Amino acid sequence: MMEYPEIDRYASLDSPMHRFDPRAKLIAITFLIFSIVLLNDLKLVLIGFLVSILFLIATKLPFHFVIQHLKGVSLFILPFLVIMPFTVEGNEIFSFYAIKVTYEGLTYGILVVLKAFSAVMLIIPMIATTKFETTLKALDKLKVPNILVQMLMFTYRYIFVFVNEFQRLLIAMESRGFKLGTSLYALRTIGNALGMLFVRSYERAERVYWAMRSRGYTGSQKTLVEFKMCTKDYALAVVIIAFAVCLQVVCYAGVWVGVV
Amino acid sequence: MNKMKKEAISVKNLTYTHPDGTKALEGASLEVYEGERVAIVGPNGAGKTTFLLHLNGILRGSGQVEVFGKKVDKEKKEEIIKEVGIVFQDPDDQLFMPTLFDDLAFGPINMGLKEDEVRERVEKTILSLGLMGYENRCPHHLSGGEKKKAALAAVMSMEPKILVLDEPTANLDPKSREELIKIVNDLNEREGITVVMATHDVNAIPALADRVFVLNKRVVAEGTAQEIFSDGALMKANNLEVPEVFKLFEVLRCFGYNCEELPLSIDKAIEHLTRTAEVNGGHIHLHIHEHMHDKVKKLRSEYKHH
Repeated sequence: MMEYPEIDRYASLDSPMHRFDPRAKLIAITFLIFSIVLLNDLKLVLIGFLVSILFLIATKLPFHFVIQHLKGVSLFILPFLVIMPFTVEGNEIFSFYAIKVTYEGLTYGILVVLKAFSAVMLIIPMIATTKFETTLKALDKLKVPNILVQMLMFTYRYIFVFVNEFQRLLIAMESRGFKLGTSLYALRTIGNALGMLFVRSYERAERVYWAMRSRGYTGSQKTLVEFKMCTKDYALAVVIIAFAVCLQVVCYAGVWVGVV
Repeated sequence: MNKMKKEAISVKNLTYTHPDGTKALEGASLEVYEGERVAIVGPNGAGKTTFLLHLNGILRGSGQVEVFGKKVDKEKKEEIIKEVGIVFQDPDDQLFMPTLFDDLAFGPINMGLKEDEVRERVEKTILSLGLMGYENRCPHHLSGGEKKKAALAAVMSMEPKILVLDEPTANLDPKSREELIKIVNDLNEREGITVVMATHDVNAIPALADRVFVLNKRVVAEGTAQEIFSDGALMKANNLEVPEVFKLFEVLRCFGYNCEELPLSIDKAIEHLTRTAEVNGGHIHLHIHEHMHDKVKKLRSEYKHH
């Protein structure tokens, strides 16, 4: 069976991150992510990386859940560690015929990988500790364009329907003797099934739109929510943002001291 | 008939052609009176869903559609939507919000109600449809029966006067099906809501409809369930069938059972049998006679669709 992309499966756990007001959480962590990504000092990035791990631990999310989400991303991140040392010019550590491994390249690779992992590890506490619909409502309250919020909402709502639909197609194909594989025939068949899924989604979209208009939809969409910020939320948000600012200050002050 | 009653829906000469050129409706006309329960039956592709989508102006063909004497057109769309609520066949088309609460609030918010009024309506609907405790569930965690009820609730929170249902009993298990029939009938009785439904579920029609229309691109026939089901030629011409109980009593008639009006439901059948037995001193007589086999044969061929 296919896995449902249920990012908020563990949103009902209880941890400091789960209790954090969704709006404050979105803003504070976004701030921190940007701050870490913009650093260019290896030591500071390492601190950011460790802090991200701390955040992740604070969420009490199950280890396998976190790994599952990091696995996919690492496919894109880890190649940098291999490519960078060979391609960036600088002082060579060692060379093998024409291939040179540079010190700058290695540092640069590690920097990219650490930053990327920090960002992903921070996104997990940001998204996975709140029910997705609450996150969406928080985005709406934060004045993110309504059309974007609606797009996210529909994507999340219908992913499950489409996964089910594709699964049914696949099961119907398998029960008529089809085997998943990488032969040209199998790929072509999967292509057909995807095409079918596309047509069905198109038709469903039309019916959903009818259902929406039947209930008075005119283009923008409001929902009812109650968020309450308490002192603890403000305090935590301020601490996180202050830390993000500190990282930047130290980074640029460090550069300045270095120049002098 | 029913000339004293107010017309809830009046459709005259409605014609609609799909964008691909196939004709879905060719001059369909019908009237539905206030407080009535009406079923629309017809073969696949007869235009039932298309017809229903005209009742609140989602689709617009040529011809005239009036709801409570008001023409359904672009200007009055908001008003019509408040009067006519459509429950779609597939609940996944209808429940598009992240939680049940949001889905129930969607209509009332669009109607421009204030926040506390919206909350009040949602709460009321949840209570009246027995969906307590489901407020924060998301649609993909509901069962088929729950989804159907939720889809109905999402429409009922707008408090429409006319409820339009597309295949309300399709894909439901017997318990959910019975529950849904009861809910719809309750809404009709308690709140006087006019009900229009398209259905293939002939066994549900006696329990759900006062009047039946046969639609096959236009309205071919109209009458009580009894009148419609008794017209064998009409049934056959429109790929329809009659309830099993009805068939059984037709067979009994071949065996000499005396029956003028064939029962459509188990309850009516019990009533009929009891009455017949009482008249005949506690017994019911069935017997084999010379024409019986021919009669049964003829009956069976009548119910075959090829």
